[in-house]
Amino acid sequence: MADAIRQSVTLNAPDAWVEGIRSAEFKTLIDAKQRTIVPMLVVFIVGYMGLSVLAGFGRGLLGTKVLGPINLGFVLIGGNYLMSWLIAVVYARISASAHDPLVKLVVDKANGSRS
Amino acid sequence: MKFLTIGMFVAILAITFGITAWAVRRTRTATDFYAAGKGLTAAQNGLALAGDWCSAAAFLGFTGLTALYGMDGALYAVGPLVAFCTVLLLIAEPLRNTGTYTIGDVIMYRMRQPPALAAAIVGTVVINLAYLIPQMAGGGVLIKLLFGLRYDVSVMLVGVGMIIYVAAGGMLATSWVQIVKAVLMLGAGAVLLFMSLKGVDFDLSALFASAEAKAGPNFLLPGNLLKNPFDEVSLGLGYMLGLAGLPHVMTRFYTVPDATTARRSVIWVMFLAGAFFACTTIFGLAAVHYLGPEALRQGNPGGNLTLPLLAEYFGGGKGTVGGELMLGFVSAVAVATILAVVAGLTLATSGAVANDLYVNLIKKGQVEERQQVLVARMTAVGVGIMATLLGILAEGVNVAVLVILAICIAASANFPVLVLSLFWKRFNTGGVVGGMGLGLISSVGLALIGPAYLGANAIWPLVNPTVVALPLGILGAVVGSLIAGRNHEQEKRFDEVTFRVQTGLRSDAV
Repeated sequence: MADAIRQSVTLNAPDAWVEGIRSAEFKTLIDAKQRTIVPMLVVFIVGYMGLSVLAGFGRGLLGTKVLGPINLGFVLIGGNYLMSWLIAVVYARISASAHDPLVKLVVDKANGSRS
Repeated sequence: MKFLTIGMFVAILAITFGITAWAVRRTRTATDFYAAGKGLTAAQNGLALAGDWCSAAAFLGFTGLTALYGMDGALYAVGPLVAFCTVLLLIAEPLRNTGTYTIGDVIMYRMRQPPALAAAIVGTVVINLAYLIPQMAGGGVLIKLLFGLRYDVSVMLVGVGMIIYVAAGGMLATSWVQIVKAVLMLGAGAVLLFMSLKGVDFDLSALFASAEAKAGPNFLLPGNLLKNPFDEVSLGLGYMLGLAGLPHVMTRFYTVPDATTARRSVIWVMFLAGAFFACTTIFGLAAVHYLGPEALRQGNPGGNLTLPLLAEYFGGGKGTVGGELMLGFVSAVAVATILAVVAGLTLATSGAVANDLYVNLIKKGQVEERQQVLVARMTAVGVGIMATLLGILAEGVNVAVLVILAICIAASANFPVLVLSLFWKRFNTGGVVGGMGLGLISSVGLALIGPAYLGANAIWPLVNPTVVALPLGILGAVVGSLIAGRNHEQEKRFDEVTFRVQTGLRSDAV
């Protein structure tokens, strides 16, 4: 079974990637991935490191009560849970609907062009 | 109480050994042994990831830290979830697309030079041992406490269990042990969550108000545990980047058939483990509310017994049948947690030694399949025995420093090398050695002269040196690459690596 799986991801021609990486389809794929991944990276790094830095240097600020007995720090911690789950769902959706078909195009072209 | 706990513990052991016996017959090839035949589904791998990533430090530790130190405990708990954002966006799919069994595979595929692979092996083995020893010691303490056995006998019990899972059943048995443990842990979490909230009529803010009233006005502020502000930053950085450098978690992505499944398994673990991490914060506050801060400080070193105590209280209290049942259940799940995590660590370490060191570095890949599996099994036994001995020697040593150290090295040495291998064209063997070397030395060196090891006599102020070691690791990787000079062969290979990172297509000519 393992061999069958390995077979399915092997290029038909050993140097097919040379053309594959220069193809317009591959550039479209990289652009699409970067447009999705880079903003998400920025959001969660700012969101999480922001919380960590405030936990060190903004202790008074995080202690401000905002929701009854719950202070800003715990609200931001809750926000980090929601942010992570949101990134997970949105990234999974965009990848499945936009990236995976592009990967298939590149793969088909790389294998189709030589076989 | 002992009989109930022993009964549940024996039941869990029986299930896991049954799984191992089933897995033995399905483990023939190296792919079976290291990667469960690459046949796990997204949900299975997601559960197994949750089993791997929720160690006893998470299960018992985060709850205890929140109960004793308030917000710092909650900060410890949220980081491990956010860490999976890094893995989801940058690591999971490229790793599945480029590697076969280990992190060393990825480095070797990119660099094709023995020193780069050697550096990757050192990184994996040091991180895994630093992570494994405290788990063994923790398991020893827990079993000693539960069953009244001697410490060294308890550690040996853990060692024998993990060696049987790994050496006999390989990744398939290890994965299913993780899955069983994850289901038990999530089940225990759901029951405790319901009971925690029931007593306050499902009003979460009442728990906060009560905890603050009972534990004092500073309880809900950050800094009760991590006094030095830079330690909070180190904690965040270490989590954010360290998970992606932990070999025993990352090798889980080789157990699925393709990158799409690897991605979906990350989504699973983010919801399953993330929800559990959030619950530990609620359990910590609930422990203060129901048990009171004084009761939690007595005979509860590091807060690790907070969750068992809370479970006992919910069951009806000390001496009641319900209390003993709950206490026994939570304790048995904690032991299962330790067994599952040490099995994953032993397997990942065996991969670095048997696959990276023996097969790829010494034998240059010229090893028959059957021989590979045999060597892998023998290595698992060897690694298991060594970990058991080190665990016995670690009695009474402050092992907490080792967990911090493992995550710090993973973030400072493994992570830069892994990411730059996948995404930086000019990166070369010199960079691998430089990054791994400087990241490793600065992490270990600063941890050894810091307060976690030297206590009040510390020369260096931070418990967790990631905030300094990580930039040094990146610096080492960049400077190492520049000193080694342009390597046109490795730069040319980068295009092929990029193509494979994005598509999973491999060419057999290389």
